[in-house]
Amino acid sequence: MKSFFLILFGLTILSSFSQAFAQDWGEIEAAAEGQTIYFNAWGGSQPINEYIQWAAKEVQNKYNVRVIHVKATDISDVVSRILVEKAADKKTNGSVDLMWINGENFKAMKENKLLYGPFSQKLPNYHLVDIENKKTLLSDFTTPVDNMESPWGMAQLVFSYDTNQVTKHPKNMLDLLAFARENPGRFTYPSIPGFHGTTFIKQVLYELTHDPDVLNQPVIPSDFEKNTQPLWTFLEALHPLMWRKGKVFPTSASQMVSLLNDNEIFISFSFNPNSVSNAIKNGELPNTIRTYIHTNGTIGNAHFVGIPFNSSARQGAMVFANFLLSPEAQARKADPTIWGDPTVLDTQKLVGQDKALFDAVPKGIATLTPKELGQGLPEPHVSWVKALEKKWLETYSK
Amino acid sequence: MSGQAKGRIFPVVVISLFCVVILAGLFGTLLPSMNYLPVIGHTHVSLSVWFDFFSYPGIQTAIRVTLFSGLTASFGVVCLGFLFITFSYGNALWKFFEKILSPVLSIPHAAFAIGFGFLIAPSGWLIRMVSPKMTGFTVPPDWIILNDPLGISLSIALMIKEFPFLIMVTMGALGQLDIKKTLLVGRALGYTKEQIWLKILIPRLYPHLRLSIFAVIAYSLSVADMAIILGPSSPPSLSVLILKWFNDPVMSFKLLAAAGSLFLFFMVVLSILCVYLIERSARVFLRPWTTSGKRRSFLSPLKPIIFFMGSGILFFTAVSSVILVIWSLTWQWRFPDFLPTAWTLKLWTKGLMSSFDPVMTTLLTGVASAFIGLILTVGCLEHEVAAGKTRTRNYTGYIHYFLYLPLLVPQITFMAGIQLLLVITKMDGYWITLMVSHLLFVLPYMFIALSATYLAFDGRMTDQAMVLKRSYTSVLFRIKLPMLIKPILFSFAIGFSVSVAQYIPTMLVGAGRFSTITTEVVSIASGSDRRAIAVYALIQQFLPMMMYALAIIIPKSLYYNRKGMQV
Repeated sequence: MKSFFLILFGLTILSSFSQAFAQDWGEIEAAAEGQTIYFNAWGGSQPINEYIQWAAKEVQNKYNVRVIHVKATDISDVVSRILVEKAADKKTNGSVDLMWINGENFKAMKENKLLYGPFSQKLPNYHLVDIENKKTLLSDFTTPVDNMESPWGMAQLVFSYDTNQVTKHPKNMLDLLAFARENPGRFTYPSIPGFHGTTFIKQVLYELTHDPDVLNQPVIPSDFEKNTQPLWTFLEALHPLMWRKGKVFPTSASQMVSLLNDNEIFISFSFNPNSVSNAIKNGELPNTIRTYIHTNGTIGNAHFVGIPFNSSARQGAMVFANFLLSPEAQARKADPTIWGDPTVLDTQKLVGQDKALFDAVPKGIATLTPKELGQGLPEPHVSWVKALEKKWLETYSK
Repeated sequence: MSGQAKGRIFPVVVISLFCVVILAGLFGTLLPSMNYLPVIGHTHVSLSVWFDFFSYPGIQTAIRVTLFSGLTASFGVVCLGFLFITFSYGNALWKFFEKILSPVLSIPHAAFAIGFGFLIAPSGWLIRMVSPKMTGFTVPPDWIILNDPLGISLSIALMIKEFPFLIMVTMGALGQLDIKKTLLVGRALGYTKEQIWLKILIPRLYPHLRLSIFAVIAYSLSVADMAIILGPSSPPSLSVLILKWFNDPVMSFKLLAAAGSLFLFFMVVLSILCVYLIERSARVFLRPWTTSGKRRSFLSPLKPIIFFMGSGILFFTAVSSVILVIWSLTWQWRFPDFLPTAWTLKLWTKGLMSSFDPVMTTLLTGVASAFIGLILTVGCLEHEVAAGKTRTRNYTGYIHYFLYLPLLVPQITFMAGIQLLLVITKMDGYWITLMVSHLLFVLPYMFIALSATYLAFDGRMTDQAMVLKRSYTSVLFRIKLPMLIKPILFSFAIGFSVSVAQYIPTMLVGAGRFSTITTEVVSIASGSDRRAIAVYALIQQFLPMMMYALAIIIPKSLYYNRKGMQV
């Protein structure tokens, strides 16, 4: 009897909770109606732009929220603009209502109080998010997320190679060095500073340093040399064997795709396990490209959407962020023939129609299975980025 | 001399607009470079930012590369331009240049750089033409052609792109010199044609070109889009570094970017000063040579080389565009295939559908800013004519000092400051502000294009009409402007194409509210799909080309029955 009451009590609390929750959300949805939101997101990929267009149309029909995709070349441009608005004391009617963000940009915005929030816990679809297993959803490049941004997709460093040129792909960094020795000039990485280039050297550091645990802690300047020595020795050996003998670096990850297509390089890498499948599907890359990861795992992270502090259409932004988390939107996004961005949801939690949506997502032609991909290594503590970049620049940019 | 010529409101408006905007912009950049940017917690004015700037890894190389590529390009293109006039003025190649100048000018810098890069890269079209049959290359050779650490490929590309601009300005200025008579008299005195150009005509031509040459120098030193595609990568040129700093997620890099762009401005000013001093001393030191009376030319052996280079520039420009057309129709294209293995129209259908709205915004902004630019230009020039007639103060004369500032100050140096100002005054994100920001860059080019021909207009025509008891306005609109329709439409087309090309002002002033075809091109170019990039770049190129075509067709069809107007 006692337990019955306890359960009853528990249920009452729970239902009143969810009622309050629903009420809250109902108010947000009502306020969102008729709002126009400016969604600032990188616009360099047609498949992604088309996906955003689709999502915008859905939200327009379902919630009467108008979404305008402002195509940024680099989201840090947008961060700069919001900073300028803050400097000018523009507290409302900011030019940005929602933005695609993660990592260093998120850290900069959070530290400078450029974000509205916490808000992601208010989104009804947030309870489907796999925060138990996907640790990077709570700690974005080691910066605590604190619900200041809402998860959108997952990413992981994945190497790609041309099966016409490479019969046996490397399985770790030392293999990669051996590959470069046999095929001089057929590997490279994008210049530093820059997200993709820096990620590559972080991966090298992970694989070669004696004590990977120090990477989870802030950089200790006195130990930096000692801890990173294997990395610099490795690069010293690799650079002369690289594309253009390491004297020229591609400016971006995008250029790496062209280089792979042009047979200039045989091994490349990207940060989306499905990007090669998607590129094969839309003709950008030939059907001979496949992907692999290193035996001990590769760095993984996540990307999010955030609302700037001065957005005057934050309800609309939240409705859109919530839609982006819906099984419908997440399953479509995960489809390699559409975009191929891995989901942030816990697909185990889904039932019925929602589950069927994910079951119907085809596996990309060059995509590894989730098992092959594994969990992904955590990003090193954010302080490593500038420390590594500085040393790299001092050594190789003279 | 009492009283003032009418229409001085035009130069006054233009001068104050330019003065306020540029000074405000420079000020907005000066403060952060002195470590003052309260929003990120920097309030102690100091020189620390400058120390950071000069100790940034690779900064010396970056500065050296910038100076080398920028100055060789400017020097090269000026020499080439002068020699080209000397050898080919009036011949078939010159006439051909006159005809195709407009489409060549309308090619956007970035689009040209992409095409040019794909042409000369080790995996590019030139090597594909001969591979693998003649070279044995089944995979591209690992040669450094593009992105060479010295910036040579960048410098050559800049020369190719600036050359048509310089020729266009020259063609405009030539109208003010009595070329045919000078050549005739010179020949009668036994000078070779080359000697007449070098000793008499070019020294007289130079003052008309001076500001354009300064603009070439400023542009070559501060170019960013072409430098990203063709310039060195580690370290890149200074302008690319500045962009990287502006975009760095760590906010304190904004201070570094401000210092960098001021330093770039300083480099531009210094270079222009040097060129001015060289011009001054050349006047003194070259005088004995110009008046020595020697008739023979030592330059004749250069003639075939200059022809070769002139045609080479046309070849590279044309082929770079052809490459874009091919890429836009490509489905799959790998090395060493000379042509794509699979073709498609899919990217065009997608591109055309999604670029409709941006194209409309571009057209509207371009036409509006070019139209206002035209009114201001004609107003200023009319004032100058009137002042000349009444011998009163000519305010338009001062314009030259201000009007060219937007071309001489690196765009990034003052646009960031202006952005802050506009946000504070709540004027950002409006179409009208966007249009005015385009006007800042549109107006100088229109002025350059129109002023020479406009001022050379034979005043007796209007005098005659006035004598026939016509009002000033009616003479202006019924006689003068219709007679000048060709240069007017041409400068309108130039103004329009300058507006189309604006990226930084559109992003910073428009607050992301307005997407033009150029913002679409730049954002799609940050991705990897060369086929989509080609489609957007071609759409971007089509707009100015259409305007240039109209500038040629309209006068022809208006005056098809008037012999005197057929030039």
